[in-house]
Amino acid sequence: MLLPRFELHRPSSVDEALTIAARHAGDCDFIAGGTDLLQNYKNRLNPRGHVVSLLGIDALQELSPTRIGALTTLARIEESETMRRELPILVEAASKVASPLVRQTATLGGNLLVETRCYYFNQSEFWRRSKGYCLKAEGDVCLVVPQKETCYAAFSGDMAPALMALGASARLKSLDGERIVKLTEFYEGDGIKRYVLRPGELVQGVELPPSATSLRGAYRKLRLRDTFDYPELGLAVTLGMEGEKIRELHVCAAAMETVPLCFDDLTGSLHGQPLSDSLIQLLGERIVKRVKPVKNTALSPNYRRKMVMVYLRRMLEQLATAGN
Amino acid sequence: MKNREILELEVNGHRRQTAARPYDVLLDVLRDGLDLTGTKRGCDMGTCGCCTVLMDGKPVLSCLTLAGQCEGKAITTIEGLKDGAHLHPLQKCFADAGGSQCGFCTPGFLMTCTALLEKNQEPSDGEIREAISGNMCRCTGYVKIIEAIQQSAEVLRARKAGNEGQADV
Repeated sequence: MLLPRFELHRPSSVDEALTIAARHAGDCDFIAGGTDLLQNYKNRLNPRGHVVSLLGIDALQELSPTRIGALTTLARIEESETMRRELPILVEAASKVASPLVRQTATLGGNLLVETRCYYFNQSEFWRRSKGYCLKAEGDVCLVVPQKETCYAAFSGDMAPALMALGASARLKSLDGERIVKLTEFYEGDGIKRYVLRPGELVQGVELPPSATSLRGAYRKLRLRDTFDYPELGLAVTLGMEGEKIRELHVCAAAMETVPLCFDDLTGSLHGQPLSDSLIQLLGERIVKRVKPVKNTALSPNYRRKMVMVYLRRMLEQLATAGN
Repeated sequence: MKNREILELEVNGHRRQTAARPYDVLLDVLRDGLDLTGTKRGCDMGTCGCCTVLMDGKPVLSCLTLAGQCEGKAITTIEGLKDGAHLHPLQKCFADAGGSQCGFCTPGFLMTCTALLEKNQEPSDGEIREAISGNMCRCTGYVKIIEAIQQSAEVLRARKAGNEGQADV
């Protein structure tokens, strides 16, 4: 299938890329691996007239336990011995993205900014024209929750919850300068807006606190097949113990709502308490009560919510045992 | 809007020039521009793996790779796999073991497996399953495909041992 027409720009520095993006403001996308963007372009989902390839910018390729460049491929994260030793949760999350073939070119930056997904959005032009366009592309009403203001497409990246649970921040750059935003504050809004990234601003990568390597972490993904599928639920848990008591606990979830969710307000009060069955049950019940998936993916919202409890229990039991 | 421009690619060890549009994917350039039709168009969305080629030795989906982003990279397609008149061991083992039924997915599988065996000469069945989990065979002949890959790994190991033996002499 032919892609829609666009002009391809190939800058060799971040500043050059930002200048080109500013010149074509409103009609421009950045592209790295392209595994998400080109699929959407083929479906005629919000294509732009100018595409800026970032692959020639070597500065965004770094990979260490404290800094990961936006252009680092998920395969590189997955195959890195250092990451496997220091931050295995990121290796686990990366290895669950799509398929090994996709991960060869898909990048961390692309996964953080992956387009939100919905049964009524991720369809061919023919399908959407027949059904009627939705709020997120060309239409003026949401086909999941019929109204004209809010898009309910689900955030479907696997790396964001894992990075959020480690306390990571996004490094952003625009022509106005650089800024660092905690990932927990980076995502906000509905399925269209979904993050605080300003027009023409670029994600250069993420940085992690050195203390992240002291946390035990796990990532589990609910999907129809064991390969390729986007998450129906992605749950990341990190745990730090002091003897028998919880020193630090973070739970973050993808694919429940339009942005990845972090439940620090629920887990914060558990610090200092022993990790018991009743504590896990209570926490699980609170999270299940909080999340509000809608019927826009393959599995039912109720099942996806219930699986939060199942995964949380399994993961916390696994992490508690891993430390002994 | 610019139309076609000359694109220079290194394909199967040769410098090749072709005219391509900025929005052409590598798959289109290989098939339509360079007549390398062994690389197949399946889903065209990155799901099936039929269009897999090697880029700098790594398997990538040519349907989701912009041709304009491939300059300076070494591309290997199924046409570049055989050694002169001799089939690559993977090709021969796929044929011998019945790993190829209708054959449409086979080029993609062969390219993915070439990269796998380059990296891991003694893969377990689990490692093979993981490596080919992005390639789909709609004839569903996966058992024979895995057998073919194991046989091929054996041939490559024996060949390597033979070469090393000769070098010792």
